[in-house]
This record gives sequence, C-alpha cells and structure tokens, in this order.
Amino acid sequence: MKKLMAILLAALILALPMTAMAEQVTLTMGSWRTDDADQVSALLAKYEEISGVKIEFTPTTSTQYNATLRLQLDNGTGPDLFYSRSYATGEELYNAGFNIVCNDIPGVMENFSDSARDPWTAEDGNVFAVPFAAVSQVIYYNKTIFAEAGITELPTTWDEFIGVCQTLKDAGYTPLANGIASNWDILECVLLGMIPNYIPFEERAAYETGEKKLNDETWVQIYTDFAKLVPYLPEGFESVDNDNANIMLGLGRAAMLIDGSWSCGTLNNKEEYPDLDLGFFAFPAPEGNAAGICLHPDMGIAGNAATAHPDEVKAFLEWLASAEGAQITADYLPGGFLPMISTGVTFQDDTIAALNDLNEGKNADARFIWANMMDLYTPMVEQLNAICRGETTPEEAADAINALWEEALAA
Amino acid sequence: MQRQRHPALQGGGSIKPGGIYWMRYIIPALLVYTLFMAYPMIDSVRLSLYEGTTGTRDFVGLANYVRLFTDQVVSTRFWNAFKNNWIFFGWHMILQNALGILFAAILTNRTMKGRQVYQTMIFIPCTIAVLVTGYLFKLMMNPVWAGDTLRRAGLGFLVRSWLGDRSTALNCVSLVSVWQWVGIPTMMFVAAFQGIPDELIEAADIEGANAWQTFTRIRVPMIVPVIGMVAIMTFVSNFNAFDVVFSMETLDGAPDYATDLIGTLFYRYGIAGQHPVGIPEPGLGSAISTCIFGMLLIGVLPTLRATQGKE
Repeated sequence: MKKLMAILLAALILALPMTAMAEQVTLTMGSWRTDDADQVSALLAKYEEISGVKIEFTPTTSTQYNATLRLQLDNGTGPDLFYSRSYATGEELYNAGFNIVCNDIPGVMENFSDSARDPWTAEDGNVFAVPFAAVSQVIYYNKTIFAEAGITELPTTWDEFIGVCQTLKDAGYTPLANGIASNWDILECVLLGMIPNYIPFEERAAYETGEKKLNDETWVQIYTDFAKLVPYLPEGFESVDNDNANIMLGLGRAAMLIDGSWSCGTLNNKEEYPDLDLGFFAFPAPEGNAAGICLHPDMGIAGNAATAHPDEVKAFLEWLASAEGAQITADYLPGGFLPMISTGVTFQDDTIAALNDLNEGKNADARFIWANMMDLYTPMVEQLNAICRGETTPEEAADAINALWEEALAA
Repeated sequence: MQRQRHPALQGGGSIKPGGIYWMRYIIPALLVYTLFMAYPMIDSVRLSLYEGTTGTRDFVGLANYVRLFTDQVVSTRFWNAFKNNWIFFGWHMILQNALGILFAAILTNRTMKGRQVYQTMIFIPCTIAVLVTGYLFKLMMNPVWAGDTLRRAGLGFLVRSWLGDRSTALNCVSLVSVWQWVGIPTMMFVAAFQGIPDELIEAADIEGANAWQTFTRIRVPMIVPVIGMVAIMTFVSNFNAFDVVFSMETLDGAPDYATDLIGTLFYRYGIAGQHPVGIPEPGLGSAISTCIFGMLLIGVLPTLRATQGKE
C-alpha cells in the first residue's frame, strides 16, 4: 500500500510541472444538443486550429440542461461558454448575473438583424448571447409517392394543399404522418408553423398586449384551416408520436410530414431510410395572404461572466459573430440548424441550401407564443388535441384560448 | 436465551444477554441508512418549504402545499394523478395479486406437472426492462404498426388507438404493468404455500375437506402475513410508479393527463420542469413527494399491523 502511494505521489510530482508548462487554455462549452456532439466537436477542433484555444464540448440531456446549468453556475463550476435558450429562459440566467454582456463584442450589433438579436436581448437592452442557429417549420414529402399519385406541382395555397391531401387519400395513401401523442409537435410544428402565413411579425405585439383578440377572425381562420388537416391524419393518430411520424414518412407509410428543419438530417440519411426520396416545401399561405415562415431562434451562445479566461471567451464569441466564423460554423452545423447571421453564408449541402432558400422573401417570425405568451403553450396543445378528436370547434378553441389570455393580462 | 457461552466469548465484559452490546453491529447499516435514505428523505421535506431553484432558495413556509391544493391547475393535476394512481393500484391489487395466488395455488398443487416450465414463463417478464416491454406494447397497441397484421388475422375489432384514447389508455398501461409483474407475487405465494406443513393438508384431506375448503380454510389463512407483505409491496411500488407511463405514454401522462400518475407529476414539476420552458420547481416537487410519503405511511402502517402482528 505504502509503495503504491509512493509511486502515485512520484507520478503526481512529475506530472505537475508538465501541466504547468503547457500553457494552452482549455475552455468548456455547455449545451443541450447531445445529438450534435460529433459535429460541434469537429467545429471546435477547427476553431482550435485557427486560434490555438481548445474548447471542450460538454452537453447535457436537453430536458435536464436548464437545471444542470443553473446548478453549475450557482456553484461556480459553470462552463466558460454555454448554449443559451431564447427569450425568458435564457434571460433568467442573465438577470441572475451569469452572462457576459455581448453589446461591445464586434459583429454582434453589425452582423445580426434586430429580429435575430431580439430573443437574446434582455429587457434592459443588453444582448446576453450571440445568436447561433434557428430552426424552421417545413412540410416534408415523399417524391416517389407524389409522382405515383400524379401530383406534379407543389401546392401554393392552403386550399391547394388540402386538395393534394385529398388526392393522396383517394389514391389510397396516408396523406399526413402527424399525430398527437407527443403533446408538442401538433402545436410547435403544425399550428405555430402556420401562423406567420396569417399574422406577420409586426402584428404579433398587438395580440400580446391584448389590443387584438385571440379569437378574432384571423384566429378562427387559423384554427379552421388547422381543422381541415384532421381527415388526412393517419388512422389512430391519437397514438402516433413524433418519432412514429418521422419513421412513417421515412418508410413510405405516409406521404407528408409537417415537422421541423432539425429532422432533415435524419430523414435524408440514406443509411436510415434508403428508399425515401425526400422533398420539402414551405407552409402554403391561404389565398390572398403574404407568405410567411416560422423561423425560430433556437440557440444562442453565451459567455460565463465568472470565467477564468474572459479574453479567450470573448474572442470566441467575436469569431462566431464574424463573417468567416459564421461560414465555418455553417459548414459544420448539423443539418437543419440555420445560421442567423446576416452576412450571407453558403452551404455545402444542397439540401440544407434548399431548406435555407425557403426563407427567402418571406415574413419570418419566431414561434408565435415563445416571446411573451408561453403560458398558452399547454392550453393550446389541449385545444388542438380536442379539435383533432372532434371534441371542440375552431370557434370554441379560439374563445377558450382568448379567455385564458385575457385572464392572464388582467392578473 | 443461551446459557452456555462460546469459550471465546467468556470474560468479554460487555457481552451480556440483554445488554446493548448489539448496538455496535447495526452501526454500519444505520450509517448507510441514515446517510442515503433517512437524510435525503428528511431533507426533501425541508426542501418543500422553500421556493426557487438551486442557490437562490427562499423560505416560503407552507406556500408550496397551499399551491398544491388550491392552485386551480396544479390541484386539478394533483387530484387527477391521485385518482389515476388508485385505478392503477386497483388493477395490480385485485388482478395481479389474485392471479398471483391462483398461479401459486396451481403451481404448488401436488399433482402439477412441468411446474418449473410454467414458473419460469410467468417470471420471465419481470426480468425484462420496463422500457422494453412498454415500447413493445406501445407498438402492438398502435394501429399504424399493428393494424395490418391484426386485420389479416381477422382481429380487426382490436385495431384501436388504445393508448391514445382517454377511456382506455390508463387501463391498458395498468394491464401491461400487471402482465409484467405478476411473477413477483406468484413467486412469493409459491414460497408461502410451500411453507405450509404437509401434515395440515393431509389431515384436512382425511377429515374430508374438498380442495376449495382446504384452499380457503387452511392454505390462504396460513399465508396471511405474506399476503400482507405483497399488498404493501404492491401499494408502495404502484404509488411510486413512473417508468411504465414514461415508456408507453409521455411525461405529460398523455392523452390529456389520462395516464398521469403522481410519479410523472412529481417528475414534471420537481425534476424536469414543464416543457418547453423546463424550469423545475424543486419546492413544489418536494411537496408532492412529501405527500406521497405521507400517503404511503398511512396505507402501510395499518396493513402491517393487521397482517404481521400475530407472532
């Protein structure tokens, strides 16, 4: 035992000067994207080549990230850099004093639009994270099935889209793979994906303040158009969850799937779904409405105010906010996560480029309720489930949500 | 009481019958128990009196309990989960344990052939992870994946969204759990039945008792302490249940909270936070867990008294 201790001690003494000699700075980066560890690690390795600063990617499971990060920051063991959630969840950490203020970091003000910075701008006007990536809501389809059903043109209006669903159903296919078992995608992907086609970004505030009602004509139309999808959902959609839905499209058991850009990588993976010829299009707007798209700011990257290496952390954030950094980031970002910088990036992957092109010339907005109406999340999911089950009408759903919001505003 | 001591123990001053020398032998177990069981449990009661996430906790007295029982949303969810938990428990208590006694009675019948085979078959599901059985049943009960097969087999009436329908979801989840765990009470009852002296059964036979009379008058009364233990185990494990709902439905207890149990409710409020904001409220979570603890205590103590005190 003593001998072992002596050896260990000797090893320790020998090792000490070696670690001191190598003065390389190593930063850590917290994240909720465990799925992307490979891609982000590759990106960070590239950054190490450029700057000589090593950054270790240390992600936590998405559902535990907020709590874990908070615990680490409270105890002073937080990562030097961390993924920041958009809006209130991210701002909570800034308000507790954990974020480096990014206003003075070169590029943050110049290279991002106001709307891109908005999700990471605190009430006091300070930017608490560099916008990193957004996700969009899209409709995926199986090109082979469309060809078999004789659909040659993609729908350009909501009614045409419903017409396509009917054609597919008549031809014996399940038109849509979506179900309601997951309790999130029916709202986040389907309904919130539709909204920018009805309510442009500029009008959102009027609903948030109560100036406009959540049961006005526009909202009744949104729920009515949503209800038109119900006959085209799969048999037993009540027990189809988001994974099921993705697999159904992947295996050709449904013709279309309303989902998020983050699924593009998996659906397009030929090892996973060798027979799927994947296509996608943006949510068609109802006739007469300007086309919008739900482009949701998802990830920002923040610096830890208590880091031991503030210069290196700021240098990394500056690199992220620069045109070169954004381009390299775009090369490494996992498919479907779109850079938010306005310097213009090019994509090596044609599919991702096409996905990004869907945003061109459309009114983009974040998910409608994310900025200020998060309390409506669960009630909205419940109303949509009820519409799908035929237990409520679009008008009743709109009235119920409006009543809740009026109550919340009055409180 | 032992009059003749082992020679090695003679002269050891503190080792006296009736002394407290035995105390030192329970110290290791007591330490482990205190550190890893009692302390966290008491600390979670303390936590239920605080608000806020880690680091910035404020003492709020009984506010979490007040919220749990008076806030419209939280209390609705709590009582809904409470009700669901009783239904879930009811299936196990009545069906699982009845099946357990039945299987055990058959397995211990002296004329039974191939006992080992049946015993193994009944017990095998207990050795499979809940996440696996839950997932398999989820596929089997989903019209999308099982519909074609069932229709080809002429069982089209079984093609239903069992887990997506409020009226069937909780019962289906409960039955899957009953199916999986029926082996545990069966094994315990088998062991108990085997412990009954053969002479008793033989005497009853000679006296002319039929099988039913032997079963109700001798075999069941002889295993009351085991029935009590099984009842307590069923009660405790079902009021702590979480995994089967997690694997077959969602953490929300889909559809529309129809399968929400106290375990999933606790996880949502106390550990993960409500999707999508995901900020947990450990104080409220602790209040829920303290209530579960109280309920378990109220349920377990009388059962223990009624069934275990006859030695």
